[in-house]
Amino acid sequence: MGLDQRARARGVRLGQSLSDARALAPDLDCHPAEDEETRALLFNIAAWCERYTPLVALDAAAQAGRDHGLFMDLTGCAHLLGGEAALVADLEARLHAQGFHVRLCLADTPGAAWAMARYGQGRIIAEGAHNEAILPLSLSGLRLEPALVASLGRVGLKTIGCIAHLPRAPLAARFGARLMQRLDQALSRETEAISPIMPVAELSTERRFAEPIARQEDISQVIAALAAGIIEPLERRGLGLRRCRIRLFRVDGHVSALEVQTARPLRDARMIARLFEERIAGLHDDLDMGFGFDLLRLDVVHADPFEGAQAEMMAGHSAGQGHDALVDRLGARLGLDRVQRFVLADTHIPERSFGREPVARLASHPGARRAASGAAALALLPDLSTPDAIITRPLILFDRPELMQTIAEVPDGPPLKFRWRGVSYEVARSEGPERIACEWWRDGRGARSRDYFRVEDRQGYRFWLFRHGLYGRETSEPAWYMHGLFA
Amino acid sequence: MSLSRQQIATDILNAHTRAQQARAYAAVSGTEQVSPPLALGASAVDHCLDGGLACGGLHEVRAGLARDIGAAAGFALGLAARAMQGDRADHVGRRGIVWVSDPAARIDGGGLFPAGLAQYGLDPSSLTLVEPGDLQGAMWAADEAAGCTGLAALIFQIKGNPARFDITATRRLMLRARGSGVLALVLRQSGGEEASAAATRWHVTTELSGADDIYQRGVGAMRLSLTLERNRAGRTGQWLLAWNPKVRVFDHAAPHPDRQPANPPAHPLDRFPPSSDRQDPPGAMGQVLDHRRDFGRAS
Repeated sequence: MGLDQRARARGVRLGQSLSDARALAPDLDCHPAEDEETRALLFNIAAWCERYTPLVALDAAAQAGRDHGLFMDLTGCAHLLGGEAALVADLEARLHAQGFHVRLCLADTPGAAWAMARYGQGRIIAEGAHNEAILPLSLSGLRLEPALVASLGRVGLKTIGCIAHLPRAPLAARFGARLMQRLDQALSRETEAISPIMPVAELSTERRFAEPIARQEDISQVIAALAAGIIEPLERRGLGLRRCRIRLFRVDGHVSALEVQTARPLRDARMIARLFEERIAGLHDDLDMGFGFDLLRLDVVHADPFEGAQAEMMAGHSAGQGHDALVDRLGARLGLDRVQRFVLADTHIPERSFGREPVARLASHPGARRAASGAAALALLPDLSTPDAIITRPLILFDRPELMQTIAEVPDGPPLKFRWRGVSYEVARSEGPERIACEWWRDGRGARSRDYFRVEDRQGYRFWLFRHGLYGRETSEPAWYMHGLFA
Repeated sequence: MSLSRQQIATDILNAHTRAQQARAYAAVSGTEQVSPPLALGASAVDHCLDGGLACGGLHEVRAGLARDIGAAAGFALGLAARAMQGDRADHVGRRGIVWVSDPAARIDGGGLFPAGLAQYGLDPSSLTLVEPGDLQGAMWAADEAAGCTGLAALIFQIKGNPARFDITATRRLMLRARGSGVLALVLRQSGGEEASAAATRWHVTTELSGADDIYQRGVGAMRLSLTLERNRAGRTGQWLLAWNPKVRVFDHAAPHPDRQPANPPAHPLDRFPPSSDRQDPPGAMGQVLDHRRDFGRAS
């Protein structure tokens, strides 16, 4: 439940029944609480707050839906925005402009800042002054369970100052270690780490604009400039980027992120900019520019060691034209899942014997990779070194076998005539059966075997089809399916 | 169709000289990269093509009916496999085939089968499959791939004759392939003849396989009936070829004795398959093949 300031001014309190509140303020505008939406909103605000620091965390209580707070670690970030006071003022002004009522406090510890923001006065606590500042505050400021605060109150301990200097052992024995931990965290006797909502990037570079930009060309230009700026630090570290993300902070508080991946470590500003151009083009105008973006940030999410000499060595191959670059570009525009390569699986059922994995994913786990290398594929198959290479597998396989009407020899002869996709075929030659048993450990009891036949009809079309189920043993009316086409 | 050995030798020599001249020209002008032609291996076809298919160029392989896709894909993959072989000087460092498919073609065209590819003489891991969500994306992907110098071949599988893939689009594809030296193939599934910028257009149908000596009833080595419908640089023709997956060459095949030579089509376009999104579809299309409803009951 929550109230805004105007409601409070009319005398409405939290905990009142709705009818009482309505009696006080007949024009009360009330809405049911929507925890899920509130949490999502809070998350969006947190994402927006990353314009000040990469370390933004949701309050644990906020995650549980009880309270709506954010932590930001501003260590080393304040000078970028003209000092702490300027940063806090800017943050408050911007959030206020977006229509949020906020209480802010900057202090040495998350615990102290939490307490001061809710129960204290003053927005910026000078360094080292937080210990004195929080002493007069209520014990609720220690992020304790309400029941614990109530029981402390019953013995007369109402403020933080009351317990700060009491002997620790009896206090811990009676009220639990949690109390002491919270106290220590607030008084910086114990360090407290916040867990940021986004993984912290290895490198970031950003550009702010006095006037928001809203043209695609401008955005591309800024991305190119940011990419150029990130090359030098990558070089110094001996890294090449594998995944990077651009974050676009819209003036109205919305933050969008675009990510690209590369198949190989990359350290070429032009290429990076080009990948992002493809990524943006692939959105088909879905990037809502609104009133423009006032901050763009380029994060290197993942980088791998990169040898400077790795660039294309072949004569006549300028970098950026190679096969990997093509795969990166296609993936950036069409989506990484749409650029695939074959991987083999350990099964004889044809449609399960291979998979298609995005190239980007294959390249990023070279260890765990089961690539469909030619050698591995050939090892499964008849020897090609014999003079007559016998082809037993079709070139084209249908994703799901297609049911046909068939006249075949009983019990296990080849088909004589069949009708597929509305056309009938007469079989002239056939080879088979090649029996592929079902996988009972996957399909369960009662799954049927398949008898595959290679068949050629009177016009020369070559098909791969199978009888589903053994006649008499597994079924009395086996169905026939078309599964593939030979060349 | 049969040529004397001497003539073949002269042809090969001529092709060599031409390639050398082209290379010399490229070295002088320094503008365009001219790759040697890609020989199919079958002498009569190579003779007709002046040594082989132009590698940095666009070629169309057309399957008239949906069920011809196996044969057409076989021909296109055979060409791609030959382009992958490193016996040609400028192809050092070129690797991989990119297979771009139009989503419409995937619906009834099926997908590639790695085990079949391996038996066909093609390493499945050399293939990169690109499946964009729409034709526009597919055309863009094909353009990008055609312009990539690190690639051996591009196969763009497309269904029918969509209006969007018109002569301008094929011309763009052809120019990019010429600049990069990629063998760009358009594999048109159930498509009609259409004017395009492709250097050659092939119509592929399947042919009865030869009988196996050991197993008379069995299916022998596959054969393809190739019709070169259009050739910008020379003659057209019709041949019967067999693919040899072991050494990756196309060989000439003798016509099957069972094959009735009755009324061979004067020109292969005796029927027009439906075009997919044109405003003016041809009037009577297709053939009624079988209307018997009771078929198959007997079993």
